[in-house]
Amino acid sequence: MAEEARELAQRRVSRRRFMIMGINVAGAGTALLIAAPIVGSVLSPVFAKRKTPWVMVADVSRVPIGVPTAYVVNLPINEGWSVPPVPRTVYVVKLNLNGSVEMLTLSNVCTHMQCDVHWDIGLQEFLCPCHGGLYSIDGTNIGGPPPWPLFRYEHKLVDSTLYVRNVLYEP
Amino acid sequence: MNPFLLGASAPVLSKIPISTGVATALVALLMLTHIQFAAFQQGGYLILAVSDFMGWKRKDERHNRFAHGLLICLGATFAFGSALAIFAVMILFLGLWSVFWDTIFRVLFWPMFVEAISFVGEIICLYTLYSQWQRLGGVRGLRVGLELLLFVNAQIQMFCIDVMASYMLTPRPSSDLALDIFNPTMIPLEIHRFVGNIAFAGAMIALVGGVRILWSKGSTSRAYADWMGHYGLVWAIGFTIAQPLVGWEYAKEIQLHAYASWYSMMLGGLSVAFLFQVFLLGAIFTVGIYYLWRRVRAGGVRAPALAVCTGISLAAWLLISTPSSLAWSYEDVFAANANVPIWQGGLLIPWGEMIPFKLVALIAFTGVAIVAITVYLKHLSRGHLTWGSAGRGQAVALIVVGVAVSLIMALMGYIREDSRSPFLITDQMLINQQQNFTPPSSPGPDLNGPGSGVGVVLPFGPPLP
Amino acid sequence: MKEASTAPQRSRLAATLTRPVAGLLATTYRWVDERLGVSDLTHQLLYEAVPRRGAWAYSLGSATLIIIVLQIVTGMFLLWTYVPSTTEAWESLNYIEHHDEFAAIVRGMHLWGAYVLFVVIGLHMIRTFVSGSYKKPRELNWIVGVVLFLLVLGLGITGAMLPWDQAAYWTATVVTHVVDYIPFLGNWVQEILRGGPQMGPETLTRFFAIHIWLLPALLVPLIGLHLVLLRRHGEHGSWVNYEGVEVESEQHRAERMAHAESPYPALPSDPGYAVPVDLDQFFPSQVFKDAVLSFGLVILIFVMAVVVGAPLERAANPAALNYVPTPEWFFLPLDQILVQFPQAWMIPVGVFVIPGIGTTLLMLVPFLDRTPDREPWRRPEVMAPALFAVLFLIFEALLAVNRLFNL
Ligand code: HEM
Ligand code: HEM
Ligand code: FES
Repeated sequence: MAEEARELAQRRVSRRRFMIMGINVAGAGTALLIAAPIVGSVLSPVFAKRKTPWVMVADVSRVPIGVPTAYVVNLPINEGWSVPPVPRTVYVVKLNLNGSVEMLTLSNVCTHMQCDVHWDIGLQEFLCPCHGGLYSIDGTNIGGPPPWPLFRYEHKLVDSTLYVRNVLYEP
Repeated sequence: MNPFLLGASAPVLSKIPISTGVATALVALLMLTHIQFAAFQQGGYLILAVSDFMGWKRKDERHNRFAHGLLICLGATFAFGSALAIFAVMILFLGLWSVFWDTIFRVLFWPMFVEAISFVGEIICLYTLYSQWQRLGGVRGLRVGLELLLFVNAQIQMFCIDVMASYMLTPRPSSDLALDIFNPTMIPLEIHRFVGNIAFAGAMIALVGGVRILWSKGSTSRAYADWMGHYGLVWAIGFTIAQPLVGWEYAKEIQLHAYASWYSMMLGGLSVAFLFQVFLLGAIFTVGIYYLWRRVRAGGVRAPALAVCTGISLAAWLLISTPSSLAWSYEDVFAANANVPIWQGGLLIPWGEMIPFKLVALIAFTGVAIVAITVYLKHLSRGHLTWGSAGRGQAVALIVVGVAVSLIMALMGYIREDSRSPFLITDQMLINQQQNFTPPSSPGPDLNGPGSGVGVVLPFGPPLP
Repeated sequence: MKEASTAPQRSRLAATLTRPVAGLLATTYRWVDERLGVSDLTHQLLYEAVPRRGAWAYSLGSATLIIIVLQIVTGMFLLWTYVPSTTEAWESLNYIEHHDEFAAIVRGMHLWGAYVLFVVIGLHMIRTFVSGSYKKPRELNWIVGVVLFLLVLGLGITGAMLPWDQAAYWTATVVTHVVDYIPFLGNWVQEILRGGPQMGPETLTRFFAIHIWLLPALLVPLIGLHLVLLRRHGEHGSWVNYEGVEVESEQHRAERMAHAESPYPALPSDPGYAVPVDLDQFFPSQVFKDAVLSFGLVILIFVMAVVVGAPLERAANPAALNYVPTPEWFFLPLDQILVQFPQAWMIPVGVFVIPGIGTTLLMLVPFLDRTPDREPWRRPEVMAPALFAVLFLIFEALLAVNRLFNL
């Protein structure tokens, strides 16, 4: 009698345990099923593939040596849905290095916090208005907070016409 | 160019048989003395108001006595200090520097006007307090209010005179008064002096306290002197803590907007003076924290945290005292090929050029002083301090801090005025008051390699590799 | 004579006319009350004891609450026009500014509400800090408060990105690039926040969702928790309400505890402070002060919204070369820290380590200061560093203004 009762009690307890376990499993499953797609969607930009077509800038044969010249290029932003291309500035810099002319296509995005830098004629340097970052004419960071030199756009020249695409590389 | 000034552009000094050098020395002596008095007024009013308030609200006899003593002292120094100022304005500025005075008055008429008016306010409040001290004791709120009014009034004065001082260093060529007033170094200078004057007044009180400890005979007067020294020192150290940060910002604005002056102060001829300045700051912090530690010990309480603070501060002080002798100016650093980042064996860190230890030490002083003051106040609030037990060592420490603060004030004024050389107003007027001149050449050697020229700006030191 | 006789008559007439209506109302109310328990609830909410002295300072919490409600309501109605899209956000607000005066006021109130909120929440924080209200048993209330403060900062900065004008665009750029300096994960986090490596259409929609859903969904329940905790332990108030408790006799203290009104006494850990010496009723004494302060602030917000309004700069243009980006004023100290920590490895120190240490210390305040003392001058171990911290923030903001003004 007593044994039976104990067994019964045990069975009850295990049934109770079973139900609690069931609640936990169902709860965890529900949370997982809701969370998985959400986390995926939040993370999706990390895995998205992007096309970066070439965009024509201008004929750069007249750009003078030693004077950074700004061109505004409408770069397609291949993120999310289609929006109109976004204007960005490309600084075309021609430098005379030991007789041969080298052409740089500098992005004007400050490497500190990504504000727009501009060529300051008085300073003869690129100046960032946000925190006073400074870059020399070839984009080397020479003062203020910026940690790296200005990045450069991938570019190609067809005759004297410059094309760039929305891919930046460190010099 | 103002047509009126054209005729006056020849140096006026030539009409008075005194050389520019002597005139400069005279004005320096007078103004540096005047600054000491003025700074004591500026900070003293706040300490006065706070003390009187404490005496009132917490019924503290020491504060009552101290407030009255301080008021009398402020009255006397006001009389003397303003006599100096009037002398300076009348004889030196109007007589010897009339073109300068005329120019600055045109640009900054309103600030100067307000400044002049505010003296009336100061005289009224101060005299009322001076003559009616006992009677005003019956309406204590009014008395504290008057004292606060004095402080506010003094702040207005300081604002006006800071406009002039900062304008001389970094004028903005404009016709807009707001731009003239809030020129690039105005706010940093204002904060720097606001904090500095209170610290200075505290240090002077500490100095007097220290002397009185040494001289005192009876135990009551000794206890009072002891308390007074402690009270002044807490103000002095507490407010000096802000100075390294604000001073750094101040220097940075000078660098951006008056590069030549900055070069001379930090890297050029005046960098020796500036190193001595940091050395003095080290003295203030180290000796001050040493005092805090010993003062708690004198009460029979162990204070290991304060001992550690003293040690760190001392180490930082030694750090700046030794290597600074290796390189007196950036030219030496350059000559020794040490103008590369410290991780390449050079002397440069991203925060500034030349002596990196200077900045490291300043950061250390700031951090340690905050901890030390906090710990000290904690001991104070727990009743661990008994007045009258301070020994000779602590009295001497108080005096050292007072003298160091006084020296640093004079040195700072000297550096600021001298860094503008050869200008009286940067880029606008030479010291001999000449206004049409060819700009002098760039300061120092061209150290920054290709791509740099006159007035090259390196806000935070050279690039990293 | 004549006057005197007609006056009561008229009121009797009014009573006869209104009696059926009043009766109906009363019956309805009773019906609802039996089912909902409204009057019980009202009674519970309103009739409680609060400390008497320093009560104006305790109005800051309610003022914060009221302004947050104002933010939520104005925000909801901004959504009637605002379009969260990089191509149309600016257009829709520009339309408001030029063609819809009332919506422009709503927008102005949302902006000035945010500005006033930062001042008020800051003062609330300072006042609870100075009065030592975070001490046992109210530690969690303080911690919840710090989280609330961070959420409100987050709402402020994400809101500032929404107009997608120049100011908004560059704020968003800088804020989303700060995370790039997180060691190892930075790049990912930046892409997640921006919806890609560069600023794009998804940047705005993501921050829009954060501003109007994610952060409010966290904020509102936490405010609830803050208030529940407040009610559980009672308003602590300022030390002036406890004057003399250290020298009080055992017997007197026991008497005070025995006669404490709800919700006092708080946890009996430091008995002197379990019940304020001098009590008042929450309703109407405290509510009156709360109402006056909140009303004053709402008037201020309204007037600023009408007179100054919310600015809208030119539409975002990533290629503009002569624009000086300026952060919202409540982020000026952080912007100045960006200047002060230059170049590679120091940037993360400036943007994460320093603010991180600051926030952690703020959270830990209740555990750093555990003495029973409530008077500020008896707690220099927290008051002195806090004073330095506040001065530091003010100086940093002033210096940032100076830097940007003279650029
Ligand atoms: C969303 C923002 C907040 C709201 C709506 C809010 C609301 C309130 C209200 C209504 C009170 C009671 C009245 C008063 O004492 O003022 C209160 C008390 C308190 N709040 Fe907040 N608060 C907020 C943020 C904060 C923050 C940022 C902190 C601190 C970091 C904080 C800490 C406290 C503490 C410690 C108390 C208890 C005060 C006492 O008992 O004396 N709260 N809060
Ligand atoms: C504590 C709460 C909140 C704060 C501090 C806050 C702050 C801000 C700020 C500073 C702006 C920028 C205004 C401007 O620059 O023009 C903004 C915009 C906006 N907020 Fe909020 N907000 C809060 C709550 C909400 C809520 C709950 C909603 C929605 C239900 C909302 C909806 C919006 C919308 C639609 C805008 C864009 C319109 C505009 O910029 O004028 N806000 N918010
Ligand atoms: S964003 Fe260019 S310096 Fe900070």
